[in-house]
Amino acid sequence: MALPKFSYLIPKSLKEACIMLAEHEDKARILAGGTDLLIKMKHRTVQPEYIIGISNIPNTDYVHSNHKHLTIGANASLTMVAQNPDIQRYFPALAYAAGVTATVQIRNMGTVVGNICNASPSADTATPLLVYDTKVVIMHPAGERTLALDEFFRGPGVTALESGEIVKELVLPLTSDRSGSNYQKVSPRSKVDIAAVGVSACLHVDEKETITQARLAIGAVAPVPKRVLHAEKTLEGKKLTEELINQAAEISLDEATPISDTRATASYRKKMVDVLVRRALNASMEQIRAK
Amino acid sequence: MNNKQNPALNQKVSGPYTQKSVVGRSVPRIDAPDKARGAAQYTADMKLPGMLYGKLLRSPVPHARIKNIDISKAAAFPGVKDVITGKDTPGIKYGNWRLFPQTQDEYPLAMDKVRFIGDEVAAVAAIDPDIAEEAISLIHVEYDELPAVFSIDEALAQDAPLIHDDIDQLEGNISIDRNIDVGDIDKAFDKADLILDDKFTLHAVSHAYLEPCAALAQPDVEGRLILWTSTQAPYIIQCLLASTLGLPENHVRVIKPHVGGGFGGKMELRSWEFCAAFMAKRTGRPVKFVLTRAEELSTGRTRHAMNIRSKVGFKKDGTIVAKDFEAYLDGGAYNSMGPTATFLCGNFGAMLYRYPAYRYRGYHVYTNKTPAGAMRGFGAPQALYVTETQMNIAAKELNIDPIDLRIKNAMVTGDTIEGVTKISSAGFVESLQKVAEMSKWKEKRASLPNNKGIGIGCYSFISGGVFNWFNTPYNFAACEVRAYDDGTAHLLTMASDIGQGSDTVLRQILAEALGIKVENIRVTSADTAMTPKADLGTWGSRVTLMNGNAILDAANKIKEKLAQMVSIKYNLNIIHEVAFANDRAFAKAKPERGISFGEAVAMWVKTHRGEELTARGYYTPRDKGLTTPAYSFGAQVAEVAVDPDTGVVTVEKVTTAHDCGTVINPMSVEGQLEGALHMGLGYALSEQFVIRDGKVLNTTFLDYKIPAAEDMPQIESYTIETYEKEGPFGAKEAGEGLAIPTAPAIAHAVYDATGYRCKDLPITPEKILRATGKITE
Ligand SMILES: Cc1cc2nc3c(=O)[nH]c(=O)nc-3n(C[C@H](O)[C@H](O)[C@H](O)COP(=O)(O)OP(=O)(O)OC[C@H]3O[C@@H](n4cnc5c(N)ncnc54)[C@H](O)[C@@H]3O)c2cc1C
Repeated sequence: MALPKFSYLIPKSLKEACIMLAEHEDKARILAGGTDLLIKMKHRTVQPEYIIGISNIPNTDYVHSNHKHLTIGANASLTMVAQNPDIQRYFPALAYAAGVTATVQIRNMGTVVGNICNASPSADTATPLLVYDTKVVIMHPAGERTLALDEFFRGPGVTALESGEIVKELVLPLTSDRSGSNYQKVSPRSKVDIAAVGVSACLHVDEKETITQARLAIGAVAPVPKRVLHAEKTLEGKKLTEELINQAAEISLDEATPISDTRATASYRKKMVDVLVRRALNASMEQIRAK
Repeated sequence: MNNKQNPALNQKVSGPYTQKSVVGRSVPRIDAPDKARGAAQYTADMKLPGMLYGKLLRSPVPHARIKNIDISKAAAFPGVKDVITGKDTPGIKYGNWRLFPQTQDEYPLAMDKVRFIGDEVAAVAAIDPDIAEEAISLIHVEYDELPAVFSIDEALAQDAPLIHDDIDQLEGNISIDRNIDVGDIDKAFDKADLILDDKFTLHAVSHAYLEPCAALAQPDVEGRLILWTSTQAPYIIQCLLASTLGLPENHVRVIKPHVGGGFGGKMELRSWEFCAAFMAKRTGRPVKFVLTRAEELSTGRTRHAMNIRSKVGFKKDGTIVAKDFEAYLDGGAYNSMGPTATFLCGNFGAMLYRYPAYRYRGYHVYTNKTPAGAMRGFGAPQALYVTETQMNIAAKELNIDPIDLRIKNAMVTGDTIEGVTKISSAGFVESLQKVAEMSKWKEKRASLPNNKGIGIGCYSFISGGVFNWFNTPYNFAACEVRAYDDGTAHLLTMASDIGQGSDTVLRQILAEALGIKVENIRVTSADTAMTPKADLGTWGSRVTLMNGNAILDAANKIKEKLAQMVSIKYNLNIIHEVAFANDRAFAKAKPERGISFGEAVAMWVKTHRGEELTARGYYTPRDKGLTTPAYSFGAQVAEVAVDPDTGVVTVEKVTTAHDCGTVINPMSVEGQLEGALHMGLGYALSEQFVIRDGKVLNTTFLDYKIPAAEDMPQIESYTIETYEKEGPFGAKEAGEGLAIPTAPAIAHAVYDATGYRCKDLPITPEKILRATGKITE
């Protein structure tokens, strides 16, 4: 299938990219790795007149951290994120999710920020980023603003980005030693497959294993990847017992509104929310205990 | 795969022909170096001066009369050189069953009706592919939509719309039926202690060959045509293309370049081959079509979906007494290769075991879906999925080990199916015994933990069909061998290497026969103007046996002539045999009395005053029953782990023991085995079309799920050596058959692990969870 015609713009900085985007509004799209965008263009689901290629802008493919935060730049590839030692240490669910996204070739091209901006309900890195309280740093021609990731997703393929805005980076507060996190994915084929359901959990506990902070997020079972706030509240202040896990799973099920599509039926997806929430919570706790 | 696990990779095969030097060795593929360095030319790679790019307009509706087609905008679009619809063509129908013209139901472009979403309606040729695509969107078609049917049941309903109302012989949507009757079926069931009566549904899958179809046509000034096309059957394409164009057969030359797989999906004339040729004639310029993966997945041929009902009777001791087998094939909108699949499904239903009485009723049903055709196994994967699953059910009911039950009923060398076929060699029992031993069958069945399972599936397959529904007046396989005074030879054969390795294996057979090195043989294959007539193509696992036999015929003629030379030179007594080995021709009993192959050829040329030494060889199976000259057999054991909560199946290990007669090239057989296993895995677990109202929704490899490399299990295999007297050096098929046993073996292992018995392929996580009560809503 051939790509439709378009003009290719090469900004020298992210700022310039914002200006180009503001100028052409709906007619322009940002291109990072292109692994989502180019396919959509071939299928004619989007037909931008201008493509703003940001992949060669210097110093945008970073992952760096200080003692408080870790920052993922707009052009950091899925491979980079999967293999980064700090991410593996502080954000193991994200490292794992990035490493099981797509194939080697796609992971070398595709970016984590692109995965988020594409806003697919099944995006593999979305639920891990949600449970790590990720902040999205958004750039526009006049400056920057910051948004929590759970306010970023607005619908399938729809984000909170407004005209002239691009994502500069993602900022994740470092997790503590007494935390554990996990990503669970189920898909019909073992590898190279879009998640039929994805679930992430992140638990912080005190010395007595009482949960001080809980994060739980579900993917591919609602129009957006989302946190299950009510379940998080229920988990906090308690110990992770079988019964508590049951409650969290039940609440998550209520929050899931899956559809049947080419990948799975709604009933299977519902069942998997139940199974994967349990697994993600248990695995998170096991990780804490193994530390 | 580890060579240690397969003795065949390291051992030379021995049989009645002793001292073989090339046959039985893992000679590397002729085409491998070019493919590895990207130098191999596929049709899509080819470019000719002035070439135009073609694109098809396909029907967006499943069933409709065409009221009007307006091509004016497309024709006027800059860069467009030709636009055609059915009305511009000679309007001649085609189909592979030339012997039965009423089965030839397809036009190159729709004439007045479209019958499935994707039916070809018009074609454009333009100076670049983007323009062609743009122009296609400018063609305006008015359709009068008709009611459509998307399942066998809908198609057979009383008030169902007639899909082919222009074929007089048809009353409903059944395009063809086939019957087989052996013994007195009703009486036979009286002897049964256990009768199984099960209904199965088998689903359609894609060939998913890596090279999408492509064709390039070039006209000449006298009106002849050359067509390069990604095909398995150049001769069939030549004949059908010529007839649809209204040309003499030999004004069409079909050349097969490198082909990236076919699996049965590239053995018929297709719309784009016709359109490339027809528009090339009209424009005087070369025209090329290359299909997209989306076109392939949404409109390409598929394996038949079937509804099968099978009733089998057993005695208490496990002896089978009768089988009553009824299959409805979902043919889609056209016959394609469906009639052959209908016939073969019934034949395979009678294979593997001895059925004193057998009845088959097979019906090929039109529906408004993309047509199903031939696909690796050709009716056997469905028939034997049913057979093997019922054997496993019976083993459970009768409390007999599934392998023991099979051995009790297994076909052996010399068995016949009355009036249908004779089994001239069978290593089936040996395969069962070997696979049981290799997989530690009995120990594992007794000791596997929960959620792990082990299962078995078996197969038999034909080494080419003996039927001639294509109605060729020529031999089934033909070749020419040219022997030169420099000690080399040239093999010309119409056999089509589509990646399965026939160029390599046929060269080995000739090298063995002439006693010269493989490197000393040049191969020219699959060019209908250059290679001898004829060849029915690469399908039905026919090439090694049929073309191999034709090559032996030619080689024997050459050798007879060279034997005369040796005989004269050494004044050999008439009782001496002349042997050919190590690039020499010599008295067998006195090897020192001999000359080099090249010298022998030189002598023959001299004594014939300059005539070139050539011989033609032919093979046509005559009086070999109704099905095939030879059958392969095999048994496969699969071990799985099932996640009880998600229902996800992981296939951990697959062990195979199989009989393909003499192994000509162990590495090639291994490749077939692993490729077949990969296909079987997809058929069992992950591949299926999601279709809504006749429209295929999963048209990319992201959503049409062929297994990934990491889904492949550990593989162990063993080849049982039999000698097949009908085959060259004792060889028979090793191509399609291996694609059959994997699905039933996995299904049996899943049953062993979970208690879920799949009668409705594929085995999905959701079906497992429903069967085990984990999903109830
Ligand atoms: C074969 C295949 C398999 C795949 N498998 C998976 C899978 O298993 N799991 C999964 O989650 N995804 C999968 N994907 C989807 C895709 O690879 C990922 O979503 C990837 O992370 C996208 O990143 P990219 O850099 O290629 O994005 P692009 O295609 O470049 O961009 C995606 C979208 O985000 C926008 N965008 C990109 N960067 C910015 C920015 N800085 N600011 C604002 N907007 C921006 C673009 O305009 C576009 O709309 C698969 C894709 C393919 C082709």
